[in-house]
Amino acid sequence: MRFLHADPQKVVLIGILAALIVGLTFASPHFLSVTNFTNVLLKVAVIVIIASAANLLMVTGNFDLSVGSVLAFSGILHAYMSKHGVAIELSILITLIVAMGWGGLNALTVSVIGINPVIATVGTLFIARGFALLIARWDGGANIMLGLPRDFVDFGRDPVFGLIPLAIVVMVAAVGTFIFIEKKTALGRKAYAIGANLKSAKLSGINTVGIVSLLYVLVALFAGLSGVLQTSRVGLAAPTVGKGLEFDVIVAIILGGTSMLGGVGSTFGMLLGALVVGFTANGMVLLGIPFYFQTIAYGGILIGTLLLSRKFDAKAAA
Amino acid sequence: MNGQDENIIEIRGIEKSFPGVKALKGVSFGVKRGTVHCIVGENGAGKSTFIKILTGAQPATRGEIKLGGKPFSPHHVSDAIHQGISCLYQELNIVDELTVEENISLGQEKHKFLFPQKADNLEKAGAILADFDSTVSLGDRVGSLSVAQKQIVEITRALVAECSVLVMDEPTAALSLGETTKIMQVIERLREAGMTIIFISHKLSEIFEIGDTVTVLRDGEMVGTQSLEGMSQPDLVRMMLGKVVAEEYIPSTGARDQAVLEARGVSTRKLKDVNFDLMKGEILGFYGLLGAGKTEVAEVLFGHEYRGEIKRDGRVLRFRTERDALRAGFALVPEERREEGIFGLLSVMRNIPLMNLKTVMRRGLVSGKAERDLADKYIDLLQIATSGRNHPVALLSGGNQQKVVIAKCLNRDADIILMDEPTRGVDIGAKQEIHNIIRDLANKGKSVIVFSSELQEITGLCDRMVLMYDGMVRETLRNGDELSTDYILEVVAGKEA
Repeated sequence: MRFLHADPQKVVLIGILAALIVGLTFASPHFLSVTNFTNVLLKVAVIVIIASAANLLMVTGNFDLSVGSVLAFSGILHAYMSKHGVAIELSILITLIVAMGWGGLNALTVSVIGINPVIATVGTLFIARGFALLIARWDGGANIMLGLPRDFVDFGRDPVFGLIPLAIVVMVAAVGTFIFIEKKTALGRKAYAIGANLKSAKLSGINTVGIVSLLYVLVALFAGLSGVLQTSRVGLAAPTVGKGLEFDVIVAIILGGTSMLGGVGSTFGMLLGALVVGFTANGMVLLGIPFYFQTIAYGGILIGTLLLSRKFDAKAAA
Repeated sequence: MNGQDENIIEIRGIEKSFPGVKALKGVSFGVKRGTVHCIVGENGAGKSTFIKILTGAQPATRGEIKLGGKPFSPHHVSDAIHQGISCLYQELNIVDELTVEENISLGQEKHKFLFPQKADNLEKAGAILADFDSTVSLGDRVGSLSVAQKQIVEITRALVAECSVLVMDEPTAALSLGETTKIMQVIERLREAGMTIIFISHKLSEIFEIGDTVTVLRDGEMVGTQSLEGMSQPDLVRMMLGKVVAEEYIPSTGARDQAVLEARGVSTRKLKDVNFDLMKGEILGFYGLLGAGKTEVAEVLFGHEYRGEIKRDGRVLRFRTERDALRAGFALVPEERREEGIFGLLSVMRNIPLMNLKTVMRRGLVSGKAERDLADKYIDLLQIATSGRNHPVALLSGGNQQKVVIAKCLNRDADIILMDEPTRGVDIGAKQEIHNIIRDLANKGKSVIVFSSELQEITGLCDRMVLMYDGMVRETLRNGDELSTDYILEVVAGKEA
């Protein structure tokens, strides 16, 4: 019962999730199936993998709007290298390192120099997207699809233990890793301290610049990893994927109870938030609700979560 | 009573309550027309609250104000301006991107079909402005002016609005010496022109230079209103600080003969050639009025830039950041508890180890048990009144928040502990407890520097005290029987030692 007492927002989310699942089970005969759940999870996985890291970044009071572009860039880079003869493993390694470079750029502008994260990471958003388009152009087309080696898609499509898609395994691992970081490591403790009071954190000797920088790099790393996973699974690298993904990530995080001002939030809450969004979207598709209503509902959820978040912030400030 | 001598403002029994605090407890005085009336008091005396009431930014809870014989109870700032009271706030209320002319007519534009028209009194504004400072013209962009010139623009705006009372809240706080002289001349001219000025400053020399009458506030109460003529600076300081009830001083038990810290010729923009030693096991107090430079000394010891030399155990220190200072064995209990000390959203348990996470790490990971034990240890040791270690620190009382900050600092196990206003906003009981903690630290061989604007705290607690005035160390005294609070007050009020 201490858990219930401690965090009403999580209880609400679990309630909503349960209601969605039960409701949709009755509303649609296609809902309760392994295939459908796998589809929902695959969709959610891209968001959750990135949001695991981005959640802790937001706990420090910062955020990253460039994740969608970094994902697209990484997918293209990986496809380009694989197509041009670089071994899959090496290509993935290089892609992830370059992705961390984008995080490094964000770290430099936001954390070291002190530019507002909205402006700085939107800058990265455009630059990374531009390079993604450029690499696709070098390859000679809009997308990279033809000529990808066999093992390129094998990596993304072979289920782990012949059972679970890799993206879902990575998602579980990412969530697990960040729950661990949040609960058991100095990094986690310091991230919360920075978000709760940056000035106190500095005066307490916490390396605020270093920790926020590290988190930006980690977020970019996970965005790159998502890019690789997505491209490999689909067997196609498009420079235009992931537009708006940054908002999916932020919505999941805020819905999960993390404050945009920092200091409050949890990885588990973020997971619940992402699942609520995922199942809502899935339900609307299954119920045949037209696309535009889905977009409207998504906007409604976004504003609703912000209101919810404000309410909780106000409570914390009181 | 003739027209010249009549009080332009009559203040009767003004009270102001905030939830849980009474900021003003019955203030009454009159302001004579055409005088410079000063209001002084230390932090928390109620000056800012009073100004806010006078300028319509906040309503009074009780009491009445008469302006020119008529009841005056402004509902908002523009109300007060219309009735003739304008205010120059500490933070300039002026738009850098606009021209002088636009700033002067800001908020007073006459509108025609929603479009602002040029104010018809610009000619007047130009004349007033030229009179004060011929180098400023109406077309200048305000961003290109100096702070003093910006203030002149604000004064001009107030004059154009035909105010009869001008409230100036620390107008010289951000000014250089030359600029201060200039503003003083402007005030002098305004007085000659029949304007009434209410002047708030913590620089006593300015009060004596420009003021006619002074009203002293202390802890929300009105101490008195007196003519400044024939009054001395120590008299005024005594009024400001009140009777100092000496807490019984118990010396720290250590030998206190080995210097752990030596500062020589430390200077910054504000500090001038500051020298002092800190002994092992000693409580050293820094005392001075607001703005004397105590906070700056604390800042220098915690990573701010300075010229001069600071030695720690004989080794010259050079640090650039707070982290360097921490590594050199310093820990700070900062002045602004909420902004710089606590992590309000986090629980007591999460706050305490943050200056030294190693104390809760076992084999590289945070141990929940170690965290709980540490929290329990300090809750018990410092008697922190909390409903539990998971209680957010923001919800504790001021005194208990301060204890959490001190616990965080103690857990650092630093050898030199800096405490900036360690008991500000803390109730009497907790204050005594915090003093006992500090003395305990010194007896265990730690060295503590206490920065305080409360003389009682300094004389009751510190083994030696450094008296500051205007960025300089005026005198260093040893605590003991023959200590005279009167003498200390004279020194910090600016008397040459």
